[in-house]
This record gives sequence, structure tokens and C-alpha cells, in this order.
Amino acid sequence: MPTIVVASPKGGAGKSTTAVLLATELAHEGVPVTMLDCDPNRSLSLWAGQSELPQNITVLSNITEADIVRTIKSNDQDGQVVVVDLEGVASRLVSRAISQADLVLTPMRATTLDATIGARALQLIAEEEEALDRTIPHAVVFTMTKAIVSKQHKGIEASLREQGVDVIDPPLMERAAFSGLFAFGGDLYSMPAQGNMQGARDNARAFAMQVYKRLAEEG
Amino acid sequence: MSDKNPFGISLNPGKLRSKPKDTSAETVARTDDAAEKHGFVDRSPQKRRGRKPSPRTGQVHAKVMPDVAREIAAEARFRGVQQGVIIEEAWAFYKAQNDQ
Repeated sequence: MPTIVVASPKGGAGKSTTAVLLATELAHEGVPVTMLDCDPNRSLSLWAGQSELPQNITVLSNITEADIVRTIKSNDQDGQVVVVDLEGVASRLVSRAISQADLVLTPMRATTLDATIGARALQLIAEEEEALDRTIPHAVVFTMTKAIVSKQHKGIEASLREQGVDVIDPPLMERAAFSGLFAFGGDLYSMPAQGNMQGARDNARAFAMQVYKRLAEEG
Repeated sequence: MSDKNPFGISLNPGKLRSKPKDTSAETVARTDDAAEKHGFVDRSPQKRRGRKPSPRTGQVHAKVMPDVAREIAAEARFRGVQQGVIIEEAWAFYKAQNDQ
């Protein structure tokens, strides 16, 4: 099954939150998910250590540049999805993970700074597509968005779409439940209520379903 | 999946298929070259070169008979350990003998 790489050279863009939401929603629907924590800050491991892991989820930590390709290959097999969470830097680890991806997700806050730095991931994907002579499906997901969409957000999104970039709708909104995952562990169904839980679950589920649709179309 | 959810899509894991990818060393090298053009370089922590500092920072000031010194030195050399290791073992043996 597919490998989904969550990549952006920008720190604080919401990569780990995106990875956890996607993995837990897919796992909640019965899909086995292996998560690879390639971030030296060990965000995924922090989440995994807060409480018992949800069913269908395995977390592998301390994946380095030297073993990323081998680790993805050994877990990229029928019956499971691999979700790779990367550090927010421009590193060779990121590019090697992208080379093995069935889908690259680039989380981006709706600010010019995030979009400018996040766009480097899109440029890298284009370069790798050429070097490897294969299409690497990719999409941007806006994170930490507000209920009222700012002019900046609209402008950045329009600009990306005009350039043919796939933007996932819905974005992941700024929600207490999403950040609470790293305090309580587990998933949106097991954690203590944080804000509007139903809204958070609907948001995460709709996002995960959009990712699933892209994977199913590709497959 | 619940029918109540407006975003509901029936998940069919069978539709989720991975495409074969090249994992050869040549492919990795091509990926690294492409990455370098965009500033995606090796940022893995570099290992410190040379021998790691010894944790044996304590010191005893012992003068022993020359033949004992020679034997301790030979044993340490033979086993590839510091002479302090021999003294530590002797001390552990002494403590065990005296139930300390």
C-alpha cells in the first residue's frame, strides 16, 4: 500500500499534526498504518508515548538518512499505509523520503513566509520527478486555518491553484483538539474533550478522506 | 463508516496500492544530486572523530613491586583494556571476599 510523505522545509508548518491526524483517521477506519518518525525532535514518538497507541498503528522512531529508503521499502507492502513525518529542514533525508513516496503532502500555514518556504518542497518534487523519470503525486494542505479565511490565505491558495498545485479541501483548522493530541496521545475518539470535538473529528475525517481519494485514484 | 457523516466515503484498502519504486544506489545518488540543487543537503549529525573520552576519571596513586606492575601491564595489554580495569576487578573481588 502507499507511502505518504509529509514534507516541508519550514518548521512549525503542522507536519506532525497532519501526520498524526491522517494516520489515526485511516487507522480508525481499519487501515493498518506504520508511522515513521524521521524528525530528531521526535514529535511522533512524543505523541506515541502519551498513551496507548490506537489500534492499527505502529510507530518506528529514529529513522535516519542512511536507512530511510530501506525502512520505507520494508514497510511498503500490501495491507498497510506508511506515513513518514520529517523534520522541518531542507535535508537529504527529506529528498530521499520523497523519492519513495506515492503521495507527498506539504502542510502550509496560510502565510506568505510559510508558502514561500513550503514552495521549496514543491520545487524539489519537480526536480526529483525529472531525475527519477516518474510522477510523484503531491498536494498542499493548509493548516491552522481560521473560520474566516483571510485575504492572504485566499491569495496564496489562488496562486497555488493557478500554478496547477493540488490543494486539499478542507484545510486543517486551528483546533484545540488537534494540538491536544500531543498532550494526551491517542486519537480524536479516545482523548478527553478539547473544544468542539465533533467539529475536529469531521475536519480530520474529511481531510483524511480527501487524501484517501487521491491515493485510490492513483492506485 | 457511519452514514451520518456528510464526508463519509467507504474505505476500500484494496484500492490503495503502492507503485514499485527504484531503491537502487544509483537512484538514491540521482535523488541526492537533485536535492542538492535546491539546498537539501546532508544535515545528519556528524559523529565526533577520534576516541571517546574515558569514563575512568578517578585515580589511585599506587606503587607496587616491579614484577606485579609488569604482570598487570601485560594482562591489560593482552586483554586490550586499561590497567585501571584490572585494578577495578581486583577491588570488586576484594569487596566480594569481605562482603562489603
